[in-house]
Amino acid sequence: MHDARRTTAVIADDERLMREQIASRLREAWPELEIVGEAANGREAVALVRSREPDIVFLDIRMPEMDGIAAARALAGQVHVVFVTAYDEYAVRAFDEGAVDYLLKPAEPERVALACRRLRERLQQKPAPMEDLLAALSRRLAGGDAKPRDYLRWVQASVGSSLRMVPTSDILFFQAEDKYTRVQAASFGALIRKPIKELIEELDPAEFWQIHRSTLVRIGAVERVSRDLRGRQRVHVRGCDERLEVSRSFSHLFKQM
Amino acid sequence: MKQTESTWQVLRQIWDALVVLWWRFFDWLAVVPWKTLVIVSVLLMVVAAILASPIPFILFILVSFIIKAVAGGKHTADVAASQAVQRAEKEQLERTALEAHLEALQAQIEPHFLFNTLASIDQLILTDPPRASRMQQSLIRYLRSAMPKMRDGSRPTLGQQVDLSRAYLEIMAVRMEERLQTVVNVPEGLKSAVFPSMMLQTLVENAIRHGLEPKAEGGRLEIAAEVVDGRLAVRVRDTGKGFAPTSPGGVGLANIRERLNVLYAGRAELVISVPAEGGTCAAITVPYEVASPATT
Repeated sequence: MHDARRTTAVIADDERLMREQIASRLREAWPELEIVGEAANGREAVALVRSREPDIVFLDIRMPEMDGIAAARALAGQVHVVFVTAYDEYAVRAFDEGAVDYLLKPAEPERVALACRRLRERLQQKPAPMEDLLAALSRRLAGGDAKPRDYLRWVQASVGSSLRMVPTSDILFFQAEDKYTRVQAASFGALIRKPIKELIEELDPAEFWQIHRSTLVRIGAVERVSRDLRGRQRVHVRGCDERLEVSRSFSHLFKQM
Repeated sequence: MKQTESTWQVLRQIWDALVVLWWRFFDWLAVVPWKTLVIVSVLLMVVAAILASPIPFILFILVSFIIKAVAGGKHTADVAASQAVQRAEKEQLERTALEAHLEALQAQIEPHFLFNTLASIDQLILTDPPRASRMQQSLIRYLRSAMPKMRDGSRPTLGQQVDLSRAYLEIMAVRMEERLQTVVNVPEGLKSAVFPSMMLQTLVENAIRHGLEPKAEGGRLEIAAEVVDGRLAVRVRDTGKGFAPTSPGGVGLANIRERLNVLYAGRAELVISVPAEGGTCAAITVPYEVASPATT
């Protein structure tokens, strides 16, 4: 039992007003609960819980540096967790009766009182490790279970005096040029340092095709493929006069065209 | 006197009827298939043979064929022209519908923002009522201009768009406190410039959400506008976390690009760049136009 010392809690939220709000609601619902610290981001929350060893941590889900779910994973088994969120887009509610509780901001006094009652019960047991639950939540936070690989969607290129983020959907083709790679868009060209070999690895293969040892073309930008007298294929790209040579080893790509 | 006048009138009516008949015949000739024309000619020749006076018939058939050859081309051109006009009208309609759809998508209010703001107001009501009231007024101003609405025919101005973002930033400043510093650098004279709705706001929200909020110490956000070479450039710059090259870029940016394309067909652009000091800079450039005074 916790009679020997008072029950303690840490509150983590990046907005001070929200920390104040949780603290004042808790004072009403559970006057004996002692708030031993407040954190403004996930990393601070983890450090604070490890140093103060509170019984309970209230974690905002959206926080800088480390989100609330990642913080809960880092603290699994060490502390009882209550998630706090303004809008339950990750459906924490679905885990309502499980090992973890949640509060919606602004927390209604009755709901806070209920959470406190549940916490008093949970305090009889050791904090649950909640591994499966947190793994499921962080998958949701990352945007679904079957998350595709993170392909390169932007290329950093110097255009004039500025360093631009060029969306790959604007790029017509990449071409190796000595030590650099030329990036050709409809309205400008630029040189980047990333070699073709690395680009092949990082770009979405459904978006860019290699047609030559030194050329990657965005398939959506291809207008047509022509053939010269010797049978060599040339790719015509929309919005650009240049013809790109298709080397023999890649000519099978356009067999059907 | 009266007699000649009425004769004149009758002649005139006959003439009018002939003209109408002639054009009807002309139109019929223009659209009738050659095959039908040939069959009709053969039938006429048969009639001519029966009547034993072939010359006028042969002349008539010859003239018909010549007219058909000439008028057919003219008619085809007329049809093509009217089809082109219809197509252009349809395309314009489709573009307007597409833009309205994309604009509505862009105007979606983020639930996290709304609920967090309401929760902050709830807290301020207890601790600092005057501040709660000011924050609520900012929220009302933001919602009024951000809610999708029926257009009264006027085009949105940069001034309206800056006011909307200012209301949003006032709210975020209360919530983020010292973690957010904002600067708005838009000359008074540019406020009447035409600028598409919700685009500036999308850039501002991106800067907060992906740049400054995820950074523990926060940072600075600057909105600036200038006219260079007859083009209006509106920039949102933050000293936040910067851009991950693998981030899909969000629906917001893709939406802006698509809308700029629909609205300006290649005469406008969105450029994302990385300032030397870090963070992100997003700039939208559109042709500089001043909204007509009646609609501002």
